[in-house]
Amino acid sequence: MNTAHAIKESKASAQAFFSMRDVHAYYGESYIVQGVSFEVQESEIVALLGRNGAGKTSTLRAIARAPQPRVTQGEIRLDNTALHTLAPHLAARAGVQLVPEDRRVIPGISVEENLIVAQVAKPLGWNLERIYEHFPRLAERRKQDAATLSGGEQQMLAVARAMARDIKLLLLDEPYEGLAPKIVQEIESIVAQIKTLGITTIIVEQNAIAALKLADKAVILDMGQIVFTGNAQDVLDDRKLRDRYLAI
Amino acid sequence: MSGNLVNALTLQVLTGMQLGAVYALIALGLTLIFGTLGVVNFAHGALYLIAAYLAVFISTELGFFAAVFIVPALLFMVGWGLERGLIKSFYSRPHTDQILVTFGLALVTEEGLKWAFGSNNIPFPLPQWGTGIVKLQEYLPFLDGFVAFPKWRLVMILVALTVISLLFVLLKFTRFGLVIRAGMRDSGMLRFLGVNISQRFAVVFGMGALIAGVAGVFGGPITQVSPDVGMHLLVPSFLVVVIGGMGSLGGALLSSLILGMALSFTAEYSAVQQIIVYLVAVIVLLVRPRGLFGKQGVFE
Ligand SMILES: Nc1ncnc2c1ncn2[C@@H]1O[C@H](COP(=O)(O)OP(=O)(O)OP(=O)(O)O)[C@@H](O)[C@H]1O
Ligand SMILES: [Mg+2]
Repeated sequence: MNTAHAIKESKASAQAFFSMRDVHAYYGESYIVQGVSFEVQESEIVALLGRNGAGKTSTLRAIARAPQPRVTQGEIRLDNTALHTLAPHLAARAGVQLVPEDRRVIPGISVEENLIVAQVAKPLGWNLERIYEHFPRLAERRKQDAATLSGGEQQMLAVARAMARDIKLLLLDEPYEGLAPKIVQEIESIVAQIKTLGITTIIVEQNAIAALKLADKAVILDMGQIVFTGNAQDVLDDRKLRDRYLAI
Repeated sequence: MSGNLVNALTLQVLTGMQLGAVYALIALGLTLIFGTLGVVNFAHGALYLIAAYLAVFISTELGFFAAVFIVPALLFMVGWGLERGLIKSFYSRPHTDQILVTFGLALVTEEGLKWAFGSNNIPFPLPQWGTGIVKLQEYLPFLDGFVAFPKWRLVMILVALTVISLLFVLLKFTRFGLVIRAGMRDSGMLRFLGVNISQRFAVVFGMGALIAGVAGVFGGPITQVSPDVGMHLLVPSFLVVVIGGMGSLGGALLSSLILGMALSFTAEYSAVQQIIVYLVAVIVLLVRPRGLFGKQGVFE
């Protein structure tokens, strides 16, 4: 590798706010994330797309440093911090917040207690007052066991819980999945607000059109590998690409 | 109801509570450790054993009150150190490995104590203020005539009630407790929220050991102090946890009370008393396979 090239490359990695380089990850013996690389600039929203089983959730989990899938190779960096060596709670403290596919609100404790446990470790984001201003439904149900919330309310709580933390990179895994259209609208408007706040976001969505309209960039995964990186609008315009990888 | 019957019933209920109290203190630690860390700690009886031995020596040297403070503190450190040093490496291993290593620890402790102090019972004299009897009729006006109960057994009940209340307050009304309760339900999500839950769970292991320590100090004079006491207590305490529902604190309390009562009320029929614990376990588990308050998916 010549020097000029090396300098250029180190400059590029210093510039990208978030980057994944050649990341490989396994669930036990099954090889799922197969050399994924992409970059996200600060305040950008990236739609991470692909068919069922393409490896979208696995990629987000690798970024959030979930114990599974296990990352065996590659680098993940956020704002000059190496994430790939961190334990999940340290990745969270470095600013990564995953809103998981299955929401994972904590049952047996109240809505408010779900928000409080998000504020045990620094750095903190919105305080409870501000959260309740943005999520009035949660304010009404603050004393209720989180397990008794409807699916849509649980999704709101999962997003609200993320906002309770100081976020550098928000990972939204199918925030609209399985929700009634009216609730989808509510969550969409919350996500739109997140966009105006300039929070760097990676959003995974089955409903690719909705995600693409919101996003600046798109990354398409297929069988654990990246098959497209570019502008969100390009995917909206490219029927063939969508037919091939997205089934929309 | 005749006065004699009321008297007898009162005594049996108190005896049941006292028997249940020792099991409850051990079972609380067991179920707390299982509920947070997912580990069945078969070394828990050995922690009681260590506490009882320590209590004998410390109370002869420094007095009983010194033992009350020093032994639980030492046990906290033993438990915490055990978790950080050894048990921690077994979380990702099958339950059978966890059982083997904790059971192994229990055997090593038992044999070590046997080697150092012999297999015989070591006398654990009660502190002066704890000897003698309490005349229950002076406190319970419905009793008829003279009804006596050993003072120390009453102390045991009160200590257990105090520990249980403190634990309840800690878990229910403090932020530490909230994090632990949340962690019992979804430790992975707490990590995604930046909480170093493993560190807090190590503290819980320490607390479980501390409670076994309290049980050892106050229970030692009742259960005797000899190397086989640990195992003798562990088996019924483990059944208490299973009957109550693995990981359920309320379940452990209720079932230790049930077992205490069952033992107390069958005391006159020693053949029945020998098997009553198992009988209760079988009946409860037939009706409720997860125990009284067991949660779906736990240990299945
Ligand atoms: N815990 C696991 N153990 C083994 N394999 C897994 C596990 N979780 C996911 N996989 C496999 O990894 C592959 C990618 O799964 P992943 O959940 O990342 O896909 P996805 O793109 O999020 O799909 P979907 O759109 O259905 O959510 C799938 O083939 C899946 O079966
Ligand atoms: Mg998925």
